[in-house]
Parts: sequence; C-alpha cells; structure tokens
Amino acid sequence: MSQNSPSRWAMIGRETGRALTAVVIALIVALVVILLTSADPGAAFQTLLTAPLSSNRTMGLWIDDVAKLTLTGLAFSLVFQARQFSMGVQGQVYMGGLFAALIAMSPIGATPMAIPVAMLAAMCAGAVYGFIPGYAKARFGASEIVSSLMLNYIAILIVNYLIRAHLAPQGTGQLATAKFPDTAIYPAILPGTRFDLGILVALVATFVVWFLLYRTNWGLKLRLVGHNPKFAEYSGIRSSFIMVSAMTVAGAFGGLLGSVFVQGRAFGNLAQNFDGNLAFEGILIAIVARSRPLAVPFVALAYGYLRQGAQLMGIRTDVPTEMISVVQAIIILLVASSFSLPGKKFFANLLGRKTTPAAAPEAAK
Amino acid sequence: MAPLLEAISIGKTYPGGTVANDGVNLTIAAGEVHAVVGENGAGKSTLMKILFGIEQPDRGELRLDGKPVSFPTPRDAIDNGIGMVFQHFSLVPSFSVYENVVLGSEPRNGIKFDRQKAIEEVRALSEKFRLAVDPLPPVGQLPVGQQQRVEILKALYRNARILILDEPTAVLAPQEVEELFVAVRALVAQGRTVIFIAHKLPEVLAISDRITVMRAGKTVGSVNAKEVTEQSLATMMVGREIALRVDRAKGRGDLACEVKALKLTAESGAPIAEDLNLKVHQGEILGLVGVEGNGQAELLEAIAGLRAIADGVVYLNGDKLNPLSTLERRERGLASIPEDRIARGLATGATIAENLVATRLADKRYVRNGLLDLKAIKAQALKLIERYSIRAGGPGYPVGTLSGGNMQKVVVARELSEQPKLLLVNQPTRGVDLGATQFIWKSLTEARDGGAAVLLSSADLSELLALSDRLVVFYRGKIVAAFVNSDDLTAETLGTYMLGLSRQDPETMRAAFQ
Repeated sequence: MSQNSPSRWAMIGRETGRALTAVVIALIVALVVILLTSADPGAAFQTLLTAPLSSNRTMGLWIDDVAKLTLTGLAFSLVFQARQFSMGVQGQVYMGGLFAALIAMSPIGATPMAIPVAMLAAMCAGAVYGFIPGYAKARFGASEIVSSLMLNYIAILIVNYLIRAHLAPQGTGQLATAKFPDTAIYPAILPGTRFDLGILVALVATFVVWFLLYRTNWGLKLRLVGHNPKFAEYSGIRSSFIMVSAMTVAGAFGGLLGSVFVQGRAFGNLAQNFDGNLAFEGILIAIVARSRPLAVPFVALAYGYLRQGAQLMGIRTDVPTEMISVVQAIIILLVASSFSLPGKKFFANLLGRKTTPAAAPEAAK
Repeated sequence: MAPLLEAISIGKTYPGGTVANDGVNLTIAAGEVHAVVGENGAGKSTLMKILFGIEQPDRGELRLDGKPVSFPTPRDAIDNGIGMVFQHFSLVPSFSVYENVVLGSEPRNGIKFDRQKAIEEVRALSEKFRLAVDPLPPVGQLPVGQQQRVEILKALYRNARILILDEPTAVLAPQEVEELFVAVRALVAQGRTVIFIAHKLPEVLAISDRITVMRAGKTVGSVNAKEVTEQSLATMMVGREIALRVDRAKGRGDLACEVKALKLTAESGAPIAEDLNLKVHQGEILGLVGVEGNGQAELLEAIAGLRAIADGVVYLNGDKLNPLSTLERRERGLASIPEDRIARGLATGATIAENLVATRLADKRYVRNGLLDLKAIKAQALKLIERYSIRAGGPGYPVGTLSGGNMQKVVVARELSEQPKLLLVNQPTRGVDLGATQFIWKSLTEARDGGAAVLLSSADLSELLALSDRLVVFYRGKIVAAFVNSDDLTAETLGTYMLGLSRQDPETMRAAFQ
C-alpha cells in the first residue's frame, strides 16, 4: 500500500543506510585483508573500486552482471516473500539454459522467432523445475531446502552430460555447444559490449514481479501466507496452492535467467558450469533488498559493481577474485542480522541528542 | 520505620520510543498483600520487570529497607530476597517438582546432587506455606494450578521475602483461585510480602491490603482495599465511569447451528472431545465454559474448518459443514474471532488494510480479474478504522505496530463488518483493556441482535456470565452441564462443574437445551 504508510521514505532511507554501512564495513575488512596479502595493496584496492568504470567493455561486463543478479534476486525474493526457502534457482537456470539452447539449435533458432520462443521455453522449463520441490513439500512434506538443493545438482549434471555426450560438436572434445545462430543471440544495445537485451529483460521482470506481488490477488495471498501461514489458513487462503505456485512462478524467472545466460552476448552457446555460481548470489540480493522487487535492481547495481571490481582485481592484480566472498559474507552477516551499530548511543550522547522520542504510552506493554 | 520496598519516580522508555513508566511511585510495606492494577499497557509489567532486575529504569530510584539499591540482573534481585512468578511459567516439564524447585541452587553432598535433601526441603516448604504439592511427579503432568505452586515454591526456596505474582489468577478456575489465596494469606502470616498484579477487580479486593492503581505509565494513587469499591477502582483505572453491563438477547430465532455426536482427536489419535451435542439459535450467545484445554477451543477450530473432524456432523442452517473448506464456510456466513490474535488472527507484518481484506479475497468489490482494487480496499479500511475506532496512523501501517486492544479491534472489525450467521469467538478480550473490552462486548451483542448465532469461549467467567444467554460446561472433552443464564448462576456453581467435581444428569441438561 503506497499511501498513508508510516514513513515509507524513512524506511527506505533506513534500509539504504544500513546496506551502505554494511558495504563500508565490509570494504574496510577487505582493505585490511588486501593490505595483509598484496604486494601492492593500493593498486589492488583501487582496481576493486574503480575498474568497472575503466572502459565501455568493463561497463558492459558490469551491466551484464546486474541483469543476471537482478533476475536471480527476483526469483529468490518471490519465494522468500512466501517464506519458502527454495534454493533452486541454480537448477532452474540450468534447465532454462538447456531448453533455450535446444530451441536455439533447432530450426527455429534460425528464424526471428528464436529469441521469444527460446525465452518462453526456458521459462516453462524453469517453472516445472521450481514446481517439483513445491509439490514435494505440499504433498509429502519434503523440506524444500533439501529437495531444491539436490535438484540443483541433478540439473547441473544432466546439462553437463548432455553437452559432453550429445550437444557439443562431434569429435572436438569441447565442453560447450557450437555458437548459436545470430538470430538466437540477444542483440547488443551498445555494439561490441555485453550491454545487451538482458538488462531490458531484467527490468521488465522487475516490474512484472512487483505487479504480481503488490497488485494482484495472488500476490496479496502470497504475502499473507509468508507473513503468517496460520492466519492465511484461517482466512480461507489455500496456502499449499500459494506455496507451490510461488515456487513455480519463481522457477519461471530462474528459467528466464538461464535464457539470459546462454543467449546473452557473454556466451551465445551452452557451456558446462556456465552460471559460475552467480545464481546463488541472488540470496544476498534478496536479503539486502528485503525481498522487495523494486529494490532488487538497485542492490544488484551496487553489488554487481563490487563483484565486477573483484573479478577485474583478480585478473589485473595479485589479489584473488575470491576476495569478494569475504565482502559478500560480511554484508550478508550484517544485513541479515539487522545489526545496529555498537556505540550508537554513545555517539548520540556525544552529539547531545537525547534518546527520548515522545510516543503514545498506550502502546506500552 | 522505612517501608520494605520503594520505587521512587521510576521512568522507563523503551528503545522504540514507548514510554512505559513515567514517574511511577510504589511503596510496599512489610507483610502486606499489595495489588498493582491498571489497564493493559498501563506499565504494570514494566514496573515489575524493573523491580525484578529484568529491565533497568532510565530514571528514579529503588529502595530496599530504606537503602538505595539497583538490580542489574534478576540474580541481584533474587539475592536481595525478591522472587517473581510470571504469567507464563518457566518450568522444565519433564523434571520432577523438586528438581524444578531446586534447579540452579541444588543442595549438594560433596559434588553430588543430594536428592533426598532436596525432596525433604521442598516438602517442608510446601507444608510451611500451605502450598500442597507432591515433590515427586514430573511437572508436565500437573494441572496449571499446581504448576503455579511449584513456581511460588521456587521463589520461596531462594528465600524470597517479597514475592511478585504477575496475573496469577488468569489461568485458574475459581476454586483454584481460592486455594491460591489461602496460600497467599499463609505467606503473609509468616512475614512474607506479596505484590499481586491483576486485572480482575473482585479478586483484587478480596486478597489485597493496599492497592496501587496505574494508568498510562503513571501511578494514579494508592488506596486501602477496605476503602474502595469495584466501581471506584475501575474509575481510577480508566479515568472515567464505565459500565460493564450488556443487554441480554431479546429473544432467539430459528435453529442456526447444530453439532451432533462430534468427536475430535489429536494428531496422535488421542481423543480430545467426544459425543459433543450442541444447538445454537439465531440471536443468542452460547457460552462454552471450561478450564482451558478441555475441548472448547478445539470445538471452535473444528467448526471453523481448521481442525479435522473425526466423527459426527456440524450443520449450519441445515447444510452439512464437514466437507466444506474454510473459505466455503466463510462464504456461508461463518465468522470467527480466534483465541490468539497474533498467532492466528492477524498477519502482523502486513498492513491494516491487507489484514482487513484478507478474508474477502473472493469478493468482487475488492478483487476483479485477479487484480486488487486498492482504492476500494483502502476505502473499506478507512471506514472500518473509523467505525471501530481503531487507533492507528492509517490503513498502510503494519498491524504489528498497534497495541493489543487495537489489534483485537482489527480482528473484530474484519469479522463483524458484515453480519455473520454463525460467529465463533474465543477469548475476545484476553489482554485487552477495559475500554476496548467494553467496545468488543458491544460489537458482539450487536452481531447477536443482527441475527448471528454466537459460540463464545472465554477463560474469564465474568465475561461468559455477562454475555451468554445459555452456557454449557466442558470437562475433559465432554459437556457435563448446561444452564440457562440467570442472575442466580454464579462462577462458583460453574466452577464445580469445570473441575469435574459434579456433573448434571442428562435430563437437566436436555431441559437447558430447550
């Protein structure tokens, strides 16, 4: 509800402030680690912070990451809002990527229909793959965390097997398919970079997820189930249906991400282990964005920047890319624990501010 | 002589900005029973937590025997001879009574736990203070009243001179209340001091020597129990005259809901209720009396569709309810105010507007083609906030930001804004202050006058006696008595049936059902 909400902007400000503080603390820790490990810490840290802006090409890399992080962040936000902890985005990405690749390599791949049909196929595959753990939970009480994680491995291994045994060009020993026809690869928005259709797909998806969650009956039911499943049951909402459908719809977005991966300019083919574990970073995006779809692209923008900076740092300096895991871990820790800074009161007293806001006493308990 | 315990201009503001205590004064003399009364949110619990070292005051001073003290932790309070019994017990159900009592300060024999000594000490304590309880059985098997005694023994075992009882009677049947009072008097006779937090004014007047009244975080005043009446205390508590009386139904209509040979079982298969037979007519309130856990709550859940029915039938206006889903039952005019508003009745993270519309998501006024009509939802929320005088910032505020009474009003507003045919009500005013109680009672009687058949369950017998037209008493999952409500019917009479001390013959019960 947009109007009459309590201090909506205050909340956005508070959350943004918290996220930024977390980033700053994480970067300070990163700096310390770099200082301890690098021969030239200054250059390494500067690369981490500025490299993504160094050229059109690196900016393209950044935006490409943002698109992908947004999509995985949205998929996780959807299930998190229904308070389901399905971790299956990675599996959905592989299934979506596989089906997008199959369409791209079929006769349809050479027609103008290649991109929409492949995207649709990827979404359907992802949806089916998201549906499975949901159904298993609703029907048999299987924990969606376990089943979705297991399904991830199944998907990765199926895709890897198919590539090696059937889809890679015969006799080359490659672990990837041949390049798709041009008609099946996303057009570049900035020629020569990875700045392609993917970012538009991500932005449209953001709007769609927001609309689904906040403007439809299904979305309200989903959020109510997430807030309090017992309340939903009592209100006459079929929570198992909502649960399964939330996981299915989130799966469609996971599948769509598969299409963005394989048909994007970064790949243009289906390779083994193509997601580079990016799918899981959607958890961080969703947590920092508090599962709010409209916040997801902004978080992805900021986090994608750090991620790209770390990758360039790994290439150009002696500090490994894995450094970013430290930053990531600290951000998750700080944001997820809704930290409040120690010494906050001390600073408040120092600044002469009294912490006695007037409030309605009847709210006291 | 200095008073035993003094709290002087205590102030406490919670981090959220809630001012819970604002210049509170409390003076406790040795050897008295001192009641602290006030509406919910008046700051009683906060004051007690400060006395027991759970919360720290921002301002003010505590004095024990005239000397300033501070209790950074409950441990310090205990060491100074203060004991507290919470409303929700902190006992280990699988441990025996004596183990629970001595837990943390066990008598030792070398490095070994001296069980024999522990048992003897507990037995001696329970005899000395007339808190009869067998030290040997596991606490989990005892009824609530006995568990409470174990809690009191725990405090006494730690040499509490001052015993704080936080709403001790809320969970007890009338006879158990009487036994508790005997124990309290025994305590006082042996020189202990009791601070008694309570809601129910007749009990307060019966047991206490002095009464301190709190309102909105401040102390209104302290009075001698002998010099006040229930009415004048109530006026002090709310700051205005209130009348807790409701009009009885003028006459009842046709049969609305019938429960026939209903059997309910727990998931383990253990029976919860058996052979329940009930009839409720339009325009009447049927009170379900019973100590909690005797099947009343489960019956309401089963009718609402939240619990499987093992056997038997529920009819609403001639239709079988058994095969219908919760939503279909609601569409046939069933409404329900659940026992626990936070666990069941609301989504506290969602907004007021969303909570108010949650049960009407199949209604064309609010949802068309799967899309929410946000304007209509907001307008409806504004209307209900106004009509039910819910104190809130607006429809977009999360329900969790409201006080208990206002949360309950949101539930009542949602369930009663459209005239129900069958209304299930469980603990409508638990933890709700007098002003809101009055309002909720009025809403219930209005629903009744509008033709609803109402099933009301409550732990508060005075509430049941005030609202019900007829009453049935539950004991161990069976209906053991039925009454037509009248001024002659007392809580004590109901109590003997609630505790299973007596049971009506089928003829008398049938007569009350006519």
